[in-house]
Amino acid sequence: MKLIRELWNYREMIVSLVQRDLKSRYKGSVLGFLWMLLNPLLQLCVYTIVFSTILRTGIEKFYLFLFVALVPWIFFSTCLSGGTTVILGQQDMVKKIYFPREVLPIAYTTSQFVNMLLSFIVIFVVVFFSGITIELTALLYLPVIMLIEYVLSLGITLLVSGLTVYLRDMQQILSILSMAWMYMTPVVYSVEMIPKEYVRFFYLNPMTPVIIAYRDILYYGRAPKMGTLANAVILGIAILIIGEITFSRLQRGFAEEL
Amino acid sequence: MRQDNAIEVRNVEKKFKIYPDKGKLLKEKVLFRSRNRYEERRVLKGISFDVKRGETVGLIGQNGCGKSTTLKLLTRIMYPDSGSIEARGRISSLLELGAGFHPDMTGRENIYINASIFGLGRKEIDRRLHEMIRFSELEEHIDNPVRTYSSGMYMRLAFSVAINVDADILLIDEILAVGDVNFQAKCFQKLMEIKKQGTTIVIVSHSLAQIEQICERSIWLQDGLIRMDGPAKQVDEEYLRYMDILRQEREKAEKGMLQTEVGERQ
Repeated sequence: MKLIRELWNYREMIVSLVQRDLKSRYKGSVLGFLWMLLNPLLQLCVYTIVFSTILRTGIEKFYLFLFVALVPWIFFSTCLSGGTTVILGQQDMVKKIYFPREVLPIAYTTSQFVNMLLSFIVIFVVVFFSGITIELTALLYLPVIMLIEYVLSLGITLLVSGLTVYLRDMQQILSILSMAWMYMTPVVYSVEMIPKEYVRFFYLNPMTPVIIAYRDILYYGRAPKMGTLANAVILGIAILIIGEITFSRLQRGFAEEL
Repeated sequence: MRQDNAIEVRNVEKKFKIYPDKGKLLKEKVLFRSRNRYEERRVLKGISFDVKRGETVGLIGQNGCGKSTTLKLLTRIMYPDSGSIEARGRISSLLELGAGFHPDMTGRENIYINASIFGLGRKEIDRRLHEMIRFSELEEHIDNPVRTYSSGMYMRLAFSVAINVDADILLIDEILAVGDVNFQAKCFQKLMEIKKQGTTIVIVSHSLAQIEQICERSIWLQDGLIRMDGPAKQVDEEYLRYMDILRQEREKAEKGMLQTEVGERQ
């Protein structure tokens, strides 16, 4: 409670860090904004070529099936691997000034979240041209699942950013982990393709229900099942709590460890 | 916490772990256990003091006595191993100026970022912006990117922000060395003004003259303990006397060594 009140006092810092990050990204290079849109599009091309011409999955409109899952996945995985730089990259500030350390992971996750929202412009264009009809009520669930994913990603960023201060080789470990995690999540395939006896393990992965919900809304055009949402909410909040508890313990030693 | 106290420090202890060869990778932590060996250095061995609201206190002592560590604990950059520290109100520190400055952004944009790190809201910054710019004397350059600034301009901007956040408690580590003589005089004046407004100030300095001018009270730290705490003049005199004795002893010892050396040669 005390933390929330303090973070509220520091909201201006969060806002200006997010602005600084977005501005330097899009100001730095003329193509900055374009690159941000191009990255998921190029990834989409690669996966589409592999999975609809070589390893055929037989899924209709595979490009869309993949795209609506890939963009949210990129948001999550950026937090997972980029979270390593959150505290280390701001050493000067952390070593010298007091502010609630949670500000940094929150600002990072938020600016990645804004990037995802911008990518959604492209998703809507692709959805529009694909001729898929989305129920209006289904669209109402989109902000809900985005919020859940934000909570989950914030938890992961807190966890990773705190741990990296003590274990500097997290980056190497995480690049492999993040690849493995992607293939353990139904991003390039559907849940139906998972062998029955393993399905329940997949639901322990907090990203599984999130991806299913996005796909329900944007690919099938229907509202996600309540069970899926409940699954996502519970895992998301659990990760956030674990992340914050770990972070608040670790942050006490940041100044000495850096 | 008592009503009229701004800071309460109780039995604070702090030790640092000194690693001769520290492994920061998981790989090293698992493979080379020996790198996890460390020595403990006790920097603070249990200090307690109160600072009343509106009081100005100077921390003095030899190098390595724990002054800066105390200040870092007060700003909450570090945490004590045992004991407690409580502070009331917004704390601003002139420990590190210009943290969070981004070279590609203008002076004005950096004011907003830097002030927000001190916990100011947008409206509060808007209200102070004019004064911050005026104080820094950077009116003409304020919309240029900070990377075009000279180091003096950079420090002036940083100082202006830090000193204009209207903190309840101001922590200062060896300052008043910013900019040219005139700017330094201005900083000093500003500091006196802030003091008059009732801000609690804690200063670490080796310049006793500075401390005596601003502070009514001094705390002398030695080897992680409070050696003396009282009116600035008295404590400072005592401290100077001690340092004199220390110096004379050292000189004597050196002379003694010289003499024995000479004796050996004969």
